[in-house]
Amino acid sequence: MAEEHLKRELGLLQATMMGIGGAISAGVFVTLGYAASLAGTALLIAMILCGVINLFTMLSYAELGAAIPSAGGEYTFAKVSFGGFISFVTGWFEWISNMFYAAFCAVGFAYMVSYTIQAAGLPLTASVPIIAAVTVAVFAIINVKGIRETGGTQTLMVVVLLGILSVFTIWGLITGQRTGPLQISAAGDFLGLLRASAFIFVVYLGGEAIAVAQAEIKDPCTNIPRAILLTCLALIAIYTSIAFVVFRIVPPGDLAGKESPLAYVAEQFMGPLGAGVVTVAGSIAALSSVNTAIMAQSRVAYALARDGYFPRVFYRIHKDFGTPCLAIAAGAILIAATAATGVVNFVAYAADFGFMVGFICVNLSLIRLRMRKPNLRRPFRVPLYPLPPVLGIVTSALLMLFIEPGTLLIGIELFILGLIVYCIRMVRYYRICLAAGGMNFGVSAFSALLALIIALDPVAVPMPHPMALVSLGAAVFVSVAYFIAGLLNITEEKGRAN
Amino acid sequence: MGKVRSTISLLVGGIQCSLGVLASVFAYLVYADPWMRGLLAVTSEELYISMFLLLVFGIFSVFSGLLLVHKER
Repeated sequence: MAEEHLKRELGLLQATMMGIGGAISAGVFVTLGYAASLAGTALLIAMILCGVINLFTMLSYAELGAAIPSAGGEYTFAKVSFGGFISFVTGWFEWISNMFYAAFCAVGFAYMVSYTIQAAGLPLTASVPIIAAVTVAVFAIINVKGIRETGGTQTLMVVVLLGILSVFTIWGLITGQRTGPLQISAAGDFLGLLRASAFIFVVYLGGEAIAVAQAEIKDPCTNIPRAILLTCLALIAIYTSIAFVVFRIVPPGDLAGKESPLAYVAEQFMGPLGAGVVTVAGSIAALSSVNTAIMAQSRVAYALARDGYFPRVFYRIHKDFGTPCLAIAAGAILIAATAATGVVNFVAYAADFGFMVGFICVNLSLIRLRMRKPNLRRPFRVPLYPLPPVLGIVTSALLMLFIEPGTLLIGIELFILGLIVYCIRMVRYYRICLAAGGMNFGVSAFSALLALIIALDPVAVPMPHPMALVSLGAAVFVSVAYFIAGLLNITEEKGRAN
Repeated sequence: MGKVRSTISLLVGGIQCSLGVLASVFAYLVYADPWMRGLLAVTSEELYISMFLLLVFGIFSVFSGLLLVHKER
């Protein structure tokens, strides 16, 4: 078995820190303001609600992770349960979403550094793309060095982060005692609460990195379920107590429009130093998520390469470090390139969509596996089955309805990209050429039609005369070029065909 | 005949790859540059669908172009 090459070096503490650090990204430091404007102090309820929704799916991760402790997380679960295209799509979205998540966190960290340099009045110019790319490079090197180094770095960062957040919470609770009891009230109606839940749910994503690294966790049957459940409960406690402290110090309306609501709140009761410390915590949170996501994407790429979906080189393990070094390096290059574009919204939406798809697939895998292999050894079993996985599917699908409409389009684009990769690897070459030829004819016909409309009915395409001429020329050119490409694709040269 | 076909394939493949890359860069510019959006009269409602179409066209063009180039090598 291939995973024998990966070393089992992560204990319960490191695995849990991997989960907590993967989830606490910079998101919680910046999203509270808008979420509070949607739900008011009822955001506390939204936080708990999201935590419980997350728990439904994490129970499925715990059962499957303990039963099938091989590299690849969701992809491996889907492969054992469904196989074929469904498992590839699951792995594809898992890989893509982890890469985009790493890029998103690297850009977030770069913005924080840039903001701090400006605020401190230092005579330096901070380039966000360069900082983001360097950050990715540093964590890629740590990841290549070994899972022990990755886990150790992660534990250190998360311990410091939790220390700062604990000081913030305890200090805030003591200061907030003077303001009397907290009144829970929703700013909008029940829909506002749901919207806030959909918006804030992103702060719980990332904890499933434990499942991706399950081939490197010691005593997986015991440690994987424990680490996953500990992460879930810790996240609910951390986020709810942070939100509670925030509303004890300032009313929800004051948070609207603040770039860093948590730093603003800290400044109210801890002074400027508090704001600085919270900003540092935000930076650490972003870095820990970059670290986890780079590790996760490489293990998914490794598993996909193992089964022939990705190039075989990603399956190669470094003989000294015991890590899939080429999968890490290739992923890091793509992450750095994405981060350097600075297109924050796009990567955030893409990551969200991928994680939601992953959640649905994991719950479906659990149900399918219970039906197909009832006698499989399961060291941990989901309580109250089938309620948690069904609720996990329903709530994940509902949350998808409430996220930005642009997310769905980005998700479809990523699906098409995945379909192309799948076809290239799995379908015979001649059939791909035929399909590409047909699509070329389609583009050619569409361009010809466009050219005809521009030439015959200029009123239908309102644009200045020179631009209309350029458009006409471009449409004719594309039509001809794609027609020739179509012909070349569907015909085979005689000598070669024989 | 074989050489002519090979040359045309490489040429058309190269053109398709270039058009694909251009379309992808254009999609990025439409997203990131308000001036470009203004020039093309793309409203915020049409932004994502414009990007979607450009990216699908771009990805397909690069894929088809690479297929042609790969076939002839």
